[in-house]
Amino acid sequence: MSLWSRLFRTFRSERHIEEIEEELQYHLAMKAQDGLDPRAARVRFGNPSRLKEDTRAQGALVWLESLLRDARYGFRQLRRTPILTLAVVLSLALGIGANSAIFSLVDAALLKPLPVKDPQALRLLEWSTNQGWPGDLCLWLTGDTTGSPTGPLRGSSIAPRVYRRLAAHPQGFASLIGFSDPGMVGVAFGSRPAEQFQLEYVSANFFESLGVPPRLGRAFSAEDDRVGQPPLVLISDRLWRSRFGGREDVFGQRLRINNVPVQIVGVAPPGFFGLRIGDWVDLYAPLAAQVALSPRVKLDKSLGEADTYWWVRLMGRLKPDISEQHAIGQVSALFRNLVVPEGATIPPGKIPKLITGPGSRGFDPIGTDKAQALWILLLLVGLILLIVCANVANLLLSRAVVRRRESAVCLALGAGSFRLLRQYLVESITLAVAGGVLGLFLSHVLAEAIHSFIRADLNIGGFDLHIDVRILGYTALISLLTVLLFGLAPAWQLARAGVNDALKAHGRTFAVGRLRLPRVLVVLQIGLSLTVLIAAGLLGRSLTNLETMDIGFDRSNLIYVSVNPWSAGYKPEQVPQYIDRLRERLAAIPGVLKVAGIQERPLSGGSNMTTVNIPGQPYREDDAHGVLINSVSDGLFETLGIPLLAGRTFRPGDMVSKSDAVIVDELFARRFFPRQNPLGQQFGTGPKTTERYRIVGVVRNSRYSSLREAPHPTMYFPSSTQLWPGFNLNFVIRSGIPTRQLAGGIRRAAAAVDPSVPVIEIKTQTALIDHLLLTDRLLSILSSAFGILALVLSAIGLIGLLAYVVARRTNEIGIRMALGASQSNVVHLILKDSLWLVGAGIAAGLPGAYLVGRLLKHTLFHLQPADPLTAVLSLGILGVVAALATWLPARRAARIDPMTALREE
Amino acid sequence: MPKADHLQGSLEILVLKVLRRGPNNGYAIATCIEQTSDEVLRVEEGSLYPALHRMTESGLLKAEWRNSEAGRRARYYELTAKGRKRLEEEEKRWHSVTAAVAKVLRTV
Repeated sequence: MSLWSRLFRTFRSERHIEEIEEELQYHLAMKAQDGLDPRAARVRFGNPSRLKEDTRAQGALVWLESLLRDARYGFRQLRRTPILTLAVVLSLALGIGANSAIFSLVDAALLKPLPVKDPQALRLLEWSTNQGWPGDLCLWLTGDTTGSPTGPLRGSSIAPRVYRRLAAHPQGFASLIGFSDPGMVGVAFGSRPAEQFQLEYVSANFFESLGVPPRLGRAFSAEDDRVGQPPLVLISDRLWRSRFGGREDVFGQRLRINNVPVQIVGVAPPGFFGLRIGDWVDLYAPLAAQVALSPRVKLDKSLGEADTYWWVRLMGRLKPDISEQHAIGQVSALFRNLVVPEGATIPPGKIPKLITGPGSRGFDPIGTDKAQALWILLLLVGLILLIVCANVANLLLSRAVVRRRESAVCLALGAGSFRLLRQYLVESITLAVAGGVLGLFLSHVLAEAIHSFIRADLNIGGFDLHIDVRILGYTALISLLTVLLFGLAPAWQLARAGVNDALKAHGRTFAVGRLRLPRVLVVLQIGLSLTVLIAAGLLGRSLTNLETMDIGFDRSNLIYVSVNPWSAGYKPEQVPQYIDRLRERLAAIPGVLKVAGIQERPLSGGSNMTTVNIPGQPYREDDAHGVLINSVSDGLFETLGIPLLAGRTFRPGDMVSKSDAVIVDELFARRFFPRQNPLGQQFGTGPKTTERYRIVGVVRNSRYSSLREAPHPTMYFPSSTQLWPGFNLNFVIRSGIPTRQLAGGIRRAAAAVDPSVPVIEIKTQTALIDHLLLTDRLLSILSSAFGILALVLSAIGLIGLLAYVVARRTNEIGIRMALGASQSNVVHLILKDSLWLVGAGIAAGLPGAYLVGRLLKHTLFHLQPADPLTAVLSLGILGVVAALATWLPARRAARIDPMTALREE
Repeated sequence: MPKADHLQGSLEILVLKVLRRGPNNGYAIATCIEQTSDEVLRVEEGSLYPALHRMTESGLLKAEWRNSEAGRRARYYELTAKGRKRLEEEEKRWHSVTAAVAKVLRTV
């Protein structure tokens, strides 16, 4: 009978007994009725309670009882060796805890579906074309675009009015919801200064269709989603608790978003963070409210509700009885009719159609580099668990050897070998459960620590990490796996030991044997440690390569200030004056050497691109013709320290809107004007051939959008020609004093110019780069921690094994010394043993390290997976640790007093 | 452990056979076996009920509480398709075994 049905029967045995009881009563009653004396019937029948016992025996009770006996016995055994038990439980907790911690991050970031009703029925809707950009249908596009500008292209967003008409007839879908990318807004509570929060514009049916009704107040109605309505917001549970103390009267509170008064209508349910995993939206507003709330949309009539501004993402909920193809086919046909104006002539290849993608994990999930980093961490931490298993198996083996005689006696007295095996397994399970429970707590602490590290730097909402069924299940699973791994070792040893063998063996000496299994386990540990160590070394060296690479300018003592006059209601004509005044004020702060303006901060994660159109060269909208653009003020190259190679840099005189002066970098000059003097060359951007721009200078290449990617041709406009309403303005300061002493002065300067303009951010260049390298740093730090853990565990394993060997060979060593062996001979004996183990471990670990290195290939920067320096360094560290781990037991062996050792026999 | 008695091996086949005629309760099954065998076979209730439950659990029978003719609640057992098949096999086996035993007894 299987374990399950046994357990099942035990649980229902009470009801089972009651049924039999009633059945028997019927039986007795019928007998009595048939004229038999009920007493006689009872006599022949026997004792009903005895019958019950029989029935019970058939169930799992006996089985369970004997199991409990085993467990009690196991506990006693574990209590008899408290230090060993503690060591086992702690190392298990460490291994299991680290694994669960990384898993909970992997699960939250990469596996878990959204916390909404029936997430599996959700589909993201995107549009796709066969021949690139959908012509004049779309002038502004936000969200994600993938594909090529000329070939197949996919985009994530559509115009809001098109969305509303689609949602009115969702056809094969149960509903269609629309939402924007979350964006930062300035939020002022009462009279306090504005803070930055994430806001997402959502359709009226958003909360209802997702099945996340507000915990308080109401969701939006179709009425609310109309231009001209006073703007309403729904706030997150998190914001409600932190800023409104979780009070029920939140609806009357005064709240200003980007200086516009808004009214709170509801509070989202706890744990709902929006539709982007890793992000946390704190404010939701109707789609139409963007016209009132976004300074950028307010200033630019081509944005907002215009049909050429595509910014609404689409998600549909499938109906259970309608196929996905059918549903999307219908909606796509309607979309086509809505998006192509009557009588317009658009090449068929440029007309977008709607397609579906998986939606259960929301939109724009964690980037592949972060996903890969998490999987790598899960792999490394899995290796740690194997090392832990080997360690625990060895600890238990050493005890099993001691208990071998006891086991042999049991076998000789007739105990089934299955019973003995079970005894060991019960003990292993007890240990694993203890380790698992402790590990679960540890994992939560660890996961939160890693999480706060990511969050502090990323400024993101973060993941939902609370311990749920999935994490519990995973922890239980790996605990069970460890039982199988470490519990099998003693059991295997037991199975090999014959009764006679063990009983004949004399007292202490029988275990001198070859200790084959413990040796294999220690070799395995050393091999795995080397693997983890080399992986950590590779990741660390890769990070160093990234951190120390030449970015084309001096990164130290550079600080950026971001302000947003648009959100204080500035008009485009007022902004240049504001810029000049703030720049003057900033330059006057003591310690500031130079100040300049720049549209996108280098290596901040943001960058802009355009295509260039060089007269006499064919124009193409492909990557080869794409260039990075930035717009900068005069003095920018001097402030950053980017060397000028030819021509001149910008002068204040270039800062007029009609200026045609541009500066390009070497790569640009070489790609578009090979073997020509780039100075004075004229060209345009976009499809029309113009001579709008003239190159006045060439500067050295510098890093702008990415550290990892190869440098890309870059051109710089005078900032006056590219004033983008709504976007932050950035100033860069070269400081002569440590940058952290500047923040106060910067805030005072900004307040002196206009206190109503919020200072969005003050960040140093190194902080920006750190942010960019967050994933690499996380990988490096955690893999190093795992490497240290692996080393410590292996060292313990090696010390343990050698100490055991010394203890078992005390007698032999005593004899050797009595016969004239010197101390160094004895040390040599142990050293030889250790060298074999470490050598075999290295031989086993190097191929493993190479395989892991291959997996890291795309993560490593300017580094080969088989990097010799990393291998040599790792081997060196391993060698030192192994030498230390050998020295302790060897010293003990050398100090053995031959007389004492011999007398013990 | 269930008590051993001489019916142990054949109880199952007898129960199956009796139930072949239609669903019935434990008491009726026992009575039927005893009467049909002219009181030669005595059914130990301590074996019958555990056997009935065992057979129900292995899917040979299905059980249900019903009101008996006597008006009291009793547990009625009924053959399942699996039980019917088992009965056929067991009957065949039984006949071949008893024939073989009889042959040995006659000839040796």
